[in-house]
Amino acid sequence: MSRDFYIFSNGRLKRKDNTIYFIDCLENKRTLPIEQINCIHLFGEIDLNSKLINYLSQYGIMLSFYNYYGYYSGTYYPRKKNVSGFTVVNQANHYNDYEKRLYIAKAFVDSAVHHILKNMRRHKEGIEDLIERIQNERKNIEEAQRIDELMGIEGRIRKSYYKSFNKILKSDFGIQKREKRPPTDPVNAMISFGNSLMYTTVLSEIYKTQLDPTISFLHEPSVKRFSLGLDISEIFKPLIVDTVIFSLVNNRVITFDEFDIEEGICYLNEKGRKKFISEYERKLGTTIKHRKLKRKVSYRMFIRLECYKLIKHFIGDEEYKPLKAWW
Amino acid sequence: MFVILTYDVGEKRVNKVRKKLKEYLIWTQNSVFEGEITEGKLKKCLYEVNKILNKQEDSLYIYEIRTSSHIKKKIIGIDKSFDDIFL
Repeated sequence: MSRDFYIFSNGRLKRKDNTIYFIDCLENKRTLPIEQINCIHLFGEIDLNSKLINYLSQYGIMLSFYNYYGYYSGTYYPRKKNVSGFTVVNQANHYNDYEKRLYIAKAFVDSAVHHILKNMRRHKEGIEDLIERIQNERKNIEEAQRIDELMGIEGRIRKSYYKSFNKILKSDFGIQKREKRPPTDPVNAMISFGNSLMYTTVLSEIYKTQLDPTISFLHEPSVKRFSLGLDISEIFKPLIVDTVIFSLVNNRVITFDEFDIEEGICYLNEKGRKKFISEYERKLGTTIKHRKLKRKVSYRMFIRLECYKLIKHFIGDEEYKPLKAWW
Repeated sequence: MFVILTYDVGEKRVNKVRKKLKEYLIWTQNSVFEGEITEGKLKKCLYEVNKILNKQEDSLYIYEIRTSSHIKKKIIGIDKSFDDIFL
């Protein structure tokens, strides 16, 4: 029953009585039961010491840091306990063999497109032409011979997808085009914020498995980031982040008051972030009856299951079929 | 699973019990803890608390609720909202 905690206030995080205490700048104390923590996200200015880090490591709890604007800056994670050289070697083999790599990359893109279309069909008035365009583009995925070709297809699909946001979002929110680094309008700011949350969630789930987060298939594995996290988030971004945005905007939970614009950079302020995160956490906790496992599974668990399926594929146990939401 | 845990233990052991329970659940009032917990963790928690208790003098009541959506919680006076995920 572990869950994520989000710290927005400034203060001190410390180990006391074999559990975690948070003391904010007004000396209010609160205990976080160590057994209930999955991950702690720090948005405020927090002091902490190595005693705390050592204790968190014992329980395998990750600390994620975000900067002033709410962008992900990094994670502290404990020594990895689940390691398997065998899996990593096989994972790398699947990267090295271009055919095998292409198969996995295609699976990721196809699943992402499936979820994109699912979102669009739910709000289909006025965007039938865009849906059709994406459906036509989707046929090219099968034939793609190279990864960059695949990336091109995905880029074009996303462009049409983001165009449809203007019709899907009911109030005055709109989007001209996708802009990141930095986002300039509220919708872009929400997409960026949501994607960075998604990225940390996926990474924390990868960390619980034997996969190596640096070896990726769709994105080029580069030195500075955990690109497998980017690959797997691709599947879940439309499924989780975008639906969170739609429900926040269309139910008028979030308004323009929850955004700050400074020198052309638009970002969610603290109130906005809290609203976004509560909806995001609610979404991750939603359960769906799994057809194969025959029990209820949360969205967060679906991410982990995706990792397990990849492992099975790598070690030649079962062919990887990406998640395609059936509900 | 949601549990509410209340205890009445001798003065000597009260701090030990409280500290142990703090690792697993949220301390809401004097001698009252509550929170979401898995069955396995609850078992582990009770096993550890058991070692502290003196069964002749102390008592520990555990109220288990299968689904937390069935709880209707009303608060009179100060709402400390300890179960908030935002700090």
